[in-house]
Amino acid sequence: MARIYIFKRFERFWHWSQAALIMFMLATGFEIHGSYALLGWQKAADLHTTAAWTLIGLWLFAIFWHFTTGEWRQYIPTGKNILAVMNYYSVGIFTGAPHPFRVTQLSKHNPLQRLAYLLVKLFINPLIWASGLAYLYYNELAATKWAASAGLSLGSIALVHTAAAFMMLAFLIGHLYLSTTGHTPLAHIKAMITGWEDVESDAAAVTK
Amino acid sequence: MRTGIFMAALMAAMLLAPAVDAASDPGSAKLLKSTADHSQFKALQQEFNSGPEVTKACLSCHTEASKQLHKTEHWKWEYRNAQGQLLGKKTLINNFCTTPVTNEAACNICHIGYGWKDDSFDFTSEVNVDCLVCHDSTGNYRKPAGLAGNVVTKEMEFPPGSGNIIKPINLKKIAQAVGKTSRDNCGACHFYGGGGDGVKHGDMDSSLASPDKALDVHMDALGNDFACSTCHMTQGHQVPGSRYAPTAQDKGEAHLRGKAYKTNPTTCQACHGQAPHKKIAKLNDHTDKVACQTCHIPKFARGGIATKMSWDWSTAGKMGPDGKPLTIKDAKGHPIYTAIKGDFVLGENVVPEYLWFNGTVTYTLRSDKIDKGKEPVRINHFEGSAGDGKSLIWPVKIMRGKQAFDSVNKTLIVAHLAGNDDTAYWTNFNWEKAAAVGMAAVGEPFSGKVDFVKTESTWPITHMVAPAKDALRCHDCHASGGRLEKVRGVYIPGRASDHAGWLDTTGWAIAALTLLGVLGHGLARVLASRRNK
Amino acid sequence: MKGKFTLGVLTLMLSAGAMSAAQAYDGDWKRGRIYYRQVCTVCHTTELKKAIGPNERTQAEWAAFFKNDKHGKGKDTVKHFFSKQYRDSIKATNAAAAKFAAVPDNELLEDVKAFLNRSAKDGDAPAGCS
Ligand code: HEC
Repeated sequence: MARIYIFKRFERFWHWSQAALIMFMLATGFEIHGSYALLGWQKAADLHTTAAWTLIGLWLFAIFWHFTTGEWRQYIPTGKNILAVMNYYSVGIFTGAPHPFRVTQLSKHNPLQRLAYLLVKLFINPLIWASGLAYLYYNELAATKWAASAGLSLGSIALVHTAAAFMMLAFLIGHLYLSTTGHTPLAHIKAMITGWEDVESDAAAVTK
Repeated sequence: MRTGIFMAALMAAMLLAPAVDAASDPGSAKLLKSTADHSQFKALQQEFNSGPEVTKACLSCHTEASKQLHKTEHWKWEYRNAQGQLLGKKTLINNFCTTPVTNEAACNICHIGYGWKDDSFDFTSEVNVDCLVCHDSTGNYRKPAGLAGNVVTKEMEFPPGSGNIIKPINLKKIAQAVGKTSRDNCGACHFYGGGGDGVKHGDMDSSLASPDKALDVHMDALGNDFACSTCHMTQGHQVPGSRYAPTAQDKGEAHLRGKAYKTNPTTCQACHGQAPHKKIAKLNDHTDKVACQTCHIPKFARGGIATKMSWDWSTAGKMGPDGKPLTIKDAKGHPIYTAIKGDFVLGENVVPEYLWFNGTVTYTLRSDKIDKGKEPVRINHFEGSAGDGKSLIWPVKIMRGKQAFDSVNKTLIVAHLAGNDDTAYWTNFNWEKAAAVGMAAVGEPFSGKVDFVKTESTWPITHMVAPAKDALRCHDCHASGGRLEKVRGVYIPGRASDHAGWLDTTGWAIAALTLLGVLGHGLARVLASRRNK
Repeated sequence: MKGKFTLGVLTLMLSAGAMSAAQAYDGDWKRGRIYYRQVCTVCHTTELKKAIGPNERTQAEWAAFFKNDKHGKGKDTVKHFFSKQYRDSIKATNAAAAKFAAVPDNELLEDVKAFLNRSAKDGDAPAGCS
């Protein structure tokens, strides 16, 4: 075994604060939706909005970071090995087969992760953001000619926002579980905290 | 800098101190605010034997007053609305005491005139205008029921032979102390609409004569102390803000002095503008759908005086074991049944009903055909819808009743109720006789057949504005089964009936399946690793 | 400190102004109504568990009540409930006492008398509690 440093400080900070915010927003969001009563509607709505702005701020930093560091390339989808990875999670993981993907600094996500994260970043997130901002600024929006002619209603905005929230919820459940599939259940989580991932020694050699 | 301003202000305050004090002291304020001490006017230094005599004296200086009043609804009791319907007490039938017509001697004590006892009343008479009912400041002015709005200046027994003595009022004293209208003046009639304190409106009763802040932030006797006219800004005796010409939605700015406005000065917006919520700006986003009153008047009849919520005339006429007209009272001593009027349901601290209202109110008139198959008959109804671009969600009191109608001609009935004659219902408990006289008086046909029909009337709730801390909270509406549950056509976050059911079902199903999937996968991993060992 | 001093001066001037107005004072029934309802009645409904309506007594009975100057079974005088001292003691929780904190005792007394006289059983405008 060897250790390589793959998650930089900002990345870890971004990941965990985003994780906390998203979970909090799911909790408050579904309260606003009326699924349960927890904090009280007003508090839930207040905090949901504050958290949203915080998340947006965080994202602006993250986008900047991704582009200045070139890390955005980590999310370019690839078909290479994808079947092998899928095979691993559906069969190999139970038989003790090695993971077909080797983590390196240049390529820290396996093809399946790349695809999943890209989906989150390019589809679920924008959908939540756009619908969330439209929700928040519905009055201003509704006053525009465009909205009137498009027949945009708060109900339809809420529908999209809720649908995106359900997608995020499903992603979160899957993501949380998959974080336990390292060589030990806590390996990936530790790596996400410390930045250092344990890898097979020969792989470390490959990574120079 | 700050202290400098403070000191300057303080010095100014000290200079003005006596004046400031006098202004905050209602007793001496009268002297300072008005340039006229009416007790010094020769015209008022005489004994008056009747109301018109006082009016004549008033008119000797205020030459145009009666002409102005002749143009008002207060005088005419008539109003034509935008749809062309002729409204006003003179013609309308409501589901309280129904109508003053043929009951003038009793009901028309709330007309701002003297002597309207039947349709011979002279609406062009200047001296028949009653100045004092609106301008008395002593609180002692009285127009006893049964005298057609005339006042009593010499002790008299009324009704004759009843042993009931009416005390005279001192018109000279009252006339010498006239002043601006106060809540007591307007309240003398408007608090008692429907035949008693708080009966009709629900948001207006005698508790508003001297209310505390919790009851009404604006009229708070120790605080803002608004008179009715502070909002109902009257010019030339024309009082704006009539219920017959409501403004459901005011998109105008707050009214500034010196600017001419065509819009209703009584709306909340006329003072507060369009974005009144400073601390929680999000609340301003509600004003495109929700009337201010909806949140800021959480309940009506909050002053300790009950309002009538329903009135069933069909049960009237029962006699007690003693053979006298029956009266039943509730625990608080308020009548809930009287032989002359039937059954009532009273309400205090009532949660309003809510509906879309665009400012148009349509009435069922005397001559309109009604259909018992389509009960309740709407005596009036508020029009509006979520989508018409003119409506807001308003709080209302819905008065539910059951009242007499002509089952052959299918019209509401004008019944002669009050009077010391053989046909008055309140004397003889005979609907047919009372209806025959009433209908003849208004020139409507009457078949001789009386039946009862369920009716509904709608009243805007707009007074008894609570302090901000008592306004509705988000969850009062943003919830299932909340205040606005029945109001459709608007998406209210938090209200389950607005949800797309398929989305919630699929969403939770997907989340649950994902969870099951990963749990299964995890379990399999555990089992597999045990076996591999 | 400075604020306190000037405030004091202000209060003095205020009360001086009020005092000059008090000469030949004519009771203000509307202010009396506020004081009666928000000071007297508020206490009666909490301590006595019922309000005392002005119309429960005649003008003569009210006059006698004020003349005897004995309030109920207690040792207090009626005047006590009009005193600045009493108003000060409740003004933290009573808006009327706070608002009329600087009004001379005698004026408030006359105000309430005027209200009760008007609203008594045989007054010009008999009035209940609300
Ligand atoms: C601190 C509470 C309190 C205040 C303030 C108060 N009262 Fe009373 N009052 C009572 C109680 C308690 C009683 C019942 C008799 C008793 O036990 O003294 C009472 C009894 C009375 C009675 C009936 C008994 C009698 O003596 O005839 C009158 C009248 C009365 N109050 C008038 C007033 C007036 C007027 C004021 C205001 C200036 C006032 N009260 C203020 C507590 C109060």
